Amino acid sequence: MASAADISGLVEPERVHGSVYLDDEIFEAELDRIFERHWVFIGHAGEIPEPGDYRQRWIGRQPVIFVRDQQGEVRVLMNRCMHRANAVCHQERGNAKGFTCPYHGWRYRLDGALAAVPYADRYPEQFDRRELGLRKARSEGHRGFIFATLNLDDVSLAEHLGAHVMAELDDIADLSPEGELLATAGAHRLRYAGNWKLQVENVIDGYHANFAHRSHYDNVKARTGFDMTELGTSASPATVSDLGNGHCSWDSSALLARGTRSFSQAGADVQQAYEKSLVAAHGQERVDQVLGKGGTHLYIWPNFSYVGAHFRIFQPIAPAETQVQLVPLTLKGAPPEVNRSRLRMHEVFYGPAGNGQADDLEIFERNQIGLAASLAPWSLLTRGAHLEQRRNDGTVTGQITDELPNRAIFRKWAEVMAEPVPA
Amino acid sequence: MSALREKVADFLFEEAARADAHDYAGWLELWAEECLYWIPCNDDDIDPETHISIVYETRVGLQDRVRRLGGGYAHSQLPPHRLSRVIGNIRVSEIEEGLVEARSTFNLTAFRRDRFEIFAGRMVHRLRPEGDDFRIVRKIVYLVNNDGYMSNMTFLM
Repeated sequence: MASAADISGLVEPERVHGSVYLDDEIFEAELDRIFERHWVFIGHAGEIPEPGDYRQRWIGRQPVIFVRDQQGEVRVLMNRCMHRANAVCHQERGNAKGFTCPYHGWRYRLDGALAAVPYADRYPEQFDRRELGLRKARSEGHRGFIFATLNLDDVSLAEHLGAHVMAELDDIADLSPEGELLATAGAHRLRYAGNWKLQVENVIDGYHANFAHRSHYDNVKARTGFDMTELGTSASPATVSDLGNGHCSWDSSALLARGTRSFSQAGADVQQAYEKSLVAAHGQERVDQVLGKGGTHLYIWPNFSYVGAHFRIFQPIAPAETQVQLVPLTLKGAPPEVNRSRLRMHEVFYGPAGNGQADDLEIFERNQIGLAASLAPWSLLTRGAHLEQRRNDGTVTGQITDELPNRAIFRKWAEVMAEPVPA
Repeated sequence: MSALREKVADFLFEEAARADAHDYAGWLELWAEECLYWIPCNDDDIDPETHISIVYETRVGLQDRVRRLGGGYAHSQLPPHRLSRVIGNIRVSEIEEGLVEARSTFNLTAFRRDRFEIFAGRMVHRLRPEGDDFRIVRKIVYLVNNDGYMSNMTFLM
């Protein structure tokens, strides 16, 4: 493995060395240090609303089961039989009464407790089943967004996220009149031949859209007359912020119409009824905050983003292979037409045949090709660096086309990658 | 082979040829004014009202899709995939309101940037006879890998 010092020298305040996207040893170190030693996003509780509902997920390279147990608690269990390590959950999703190892029949409850060992008379008296439950990752959530870490000594989730990120998650959850999100509308599952950080940087990149997504913007203009390129020029009033710890967000409210964030184009009467129910539930002041916030993107270090109506989970597979899941959220208690519109709007742009995101995947693959040219091995993250503004609340803000998020993300990357490795 | 089945097969082969050739305008001509193009996501029997699809488009969506692909800035089709699809196992039945339903399977080989990909699945076309020809009222594509990790599928399926 490359030493921590070698790695941190690859990131400078305003540029990053191409090997961070290419190198096998760096990739393995990322999984060790970023994914398997600190908080990562696992899923949303609204994906598994009923006891027994589960999803297969990953913490770095390690398989986990994201499951709701008999008592309704959400758990993150290591997907490894305590006997001889078979994966006890072998489907991507479903509903189960428990998990039975297919190899020798060891049976676990939904909370991970070992319920039965076949032919137990061949074990000695001191053999203690209570110590052989499925191992649990440490997990915590905020507004149903569940994170986990394999590191018992890690900071609390609240400290990892910080107040600004938690407020962003509150704003997303409060788009529901019941303050609750559901994630039972399926997932777009994507793969591309490029490094995982290319997707990370892209999701919070305000500079690319007028070029990478020109074909979609041309469609919108032809259909509605609205020129979406205004959002992403250097004259745009939209902003981007470094929320600390590598987390970043956009705010396009200065440009986009009130309510854009509901990501629904249901009829005016339906939207009004929806807003009325929001006001009844949360009060006018809160609703003004939530709906007045336009078209926000949120990135939470290292593997989560929220865009439009969906959240994403980034899963590194190899230096040049990444899987991404896009999980649309529906708003509990909102009119069905609002939720239906969120799904239809999502499909137009996202997914393997969508009019926008497929072009991003193409860009990532070309990016990976370009990175191999090593005569000038640095990628430039200079844009807007001399214009960053520190706010009183500790966040740092810039104009939407600035590379402020890239700098914040790689600052966090270098910091985590340079941490001493425990023996 | 019945005369109807032969006519329907010819129509499906023509649609396949236009899609393989990226003949966007020619492909769009095959669709009725009121139409639905649907590729379910994650499973075959999802409810599109409450579940996302890979594609769920009426004519407006199809027009946008085709305008984008032909507009010169759809990076995911620059260059376009080389495509070759085989349509088979065609079964035809006459259903309500004079419509014809065609069930078929397909196998599509796509090649781009030194990478082969295979797409396969079932299709259900609902066709409205128009003189000697048909128009597509509804087309559903059930991909065998609709729950798998997928990459660029922006060509005409």
